[in-house]
Amino acid sequence: MPKIEAEHLDFFYSGRQVLKDISIAIPERKITALIGPSGCGKSTFLRCLNRMNDTIRGARAAGIIRLDGDDIYADTQDVVRLRQRVGMVFQRPNPFPQSVYSNVAFGPRVMRQNHRGSLDALVEQSLREAGLWDEVKDDLDQDSLTLSLGQQQRLCIARTIAVRPEVILMDEPCSALDPIDTLRIEDLMRALAADYTIVIVTHNMQQAARVSDETGFFMVDEQQIGRLVEHGPTDRIFTSPKDPRTEGYITGRYG
Amino acid sequence: MTRPTLDTALQNLKQEVAALGELVLSNVIQSVRYLKERDFDGSKRLMKLDVIINRKRFAIENEIMVLIATQQPLAGDLRLLAAMLEIITELERIGDYAKGISKINLLIGEASLIKPLVDIPLMADKAVTMLRLALKAFEERDVELAREVPTQDHEVDELYNQVNRELMALIVADPSNTEQANHLLWAAHNLERAADRATNICERVIFCATGKMEEMDDHFGMRPAGGD
Repeated sequence: MPKIEAEHLDFFYSGRQVLKDISIAIPERKITALIGPSGCGKSTFLRCLNRMNDTIRGARAAGIIRLDGDDIYADTQDVVRLRQRVGMVFQRPNPFPQSVYSNVAFGPRVMRQNHRGSLDALVEQSLREAGLWDEVKDDLDQDSLTLSLGQQQRLCIARTIAVRPEVILMDEPCSALDPIDTLRIEDLMRALAADYTIVIVTHNMQQAARVSDETGFFMVDEQQIGRLVEHGPTDRIFTSPKDPRTEGYITGRYG
Repeated sequence: MTRPTLDTALQNLKQEVAALGELVLSNVIQSVRYLKERDFDGSKRLMKLDVIINRKRFAIENEIMVLIATQQPLAGDLRLLAAMLEIITELERIGDYAKGISKINLLIGEASLIKPLVDIPLMADKAVTMLRLALKAFEERDVELAREVPTQDHEVDELYNQVNRELMALIVADPSNTEQANHLLWAAHNLERAADRATNICERVIFCATGKMEEMDDHFGMRPAGGD
């Protein structure tokens, strides 16, 4: 069974449709990359997966998104619990202006899901998983804003995984980073994919090609509504896409 | 939107592959002509020309590597470059066959031919026709033509079998013919393989155009059995 499954998802901002008829099955413990030109709706779709769009006035979804088979837009859905299960990493690193430790401990503390004794262990484990532990272990009380951008982004990943999510959404997680930090995050993603389902939106097609198992290509139709044009194994999408629009976009000849 | 740098480079590469193809085909035709006419100087010249073929092949290969590194081609562009890498390798090997036939002419030396050369030039004509069509299919992304060309391979195979039978008969009739018969059989073998490589090129054309690998190797089944 896919970890996440969208079926005929439509999405509207204040009555204006921005996504139409999106159906996609996202496999568990794999990396799925969503690519497409700016304004194609890929980030909107990503934010539907943990209902981040709910906070936008006038935003409305129609259709179904299932997480482990359960409709996340059902009335009975606990949205806080949903966002614990489906975490998110953003474009620019956004650590809280607090210590490294407090950033990672923040989620578990809010969720009260941890007993006091093991919080240290959880912080360490999360920082280790995020590949940051060795760089910060000697001074966990340092202000997180003194870290480099690449370290800050890994701290945000540590903060995300500290609440033990099942899915990690990443919206252009490397766009503010230099190539070395970008490759570190990509390596980290490959390692995290052993335990988490990852969905990443990226403008960098080489990144999608390098890091993902599956790729979905979004593009607007004649009515400027975002559609999922094609979805499949990354190696096929980047060597033999089926749809000429996919071919046009990934070879740089779209439009 | 277009990609002028990549598009121009791809176009130039296609032309360079076509030029390499012409050079190789010319060498195949000439090598058999010099063999038939017993023109040793011509054969020596051709053997030197093979160096140019090799150089051109490596130059094209290098340009393809640079394009992959600098332009990050994907999908159809990537398949085109991969196909060209294969095709230039096939062409370079066919060039080696022409060189081999030239060498055979020199090895036979002043001795008179044990049989008039009729079928071997015919094999060369057919192999070259197949190669020319395969290159045309590549140039024009003509999948139908690429599927059609390999069906001609059996004609070359039949000619090879005939040459093989005749040469075996000559050896049986007079064992002193063995050495030259062996040389001539190698020449025929080279042409038979050249035709097979036309089939390989056609497979690449189909892959390039459709993204699908289609094995068209009935030549494995048709491979001369050595005097059936």
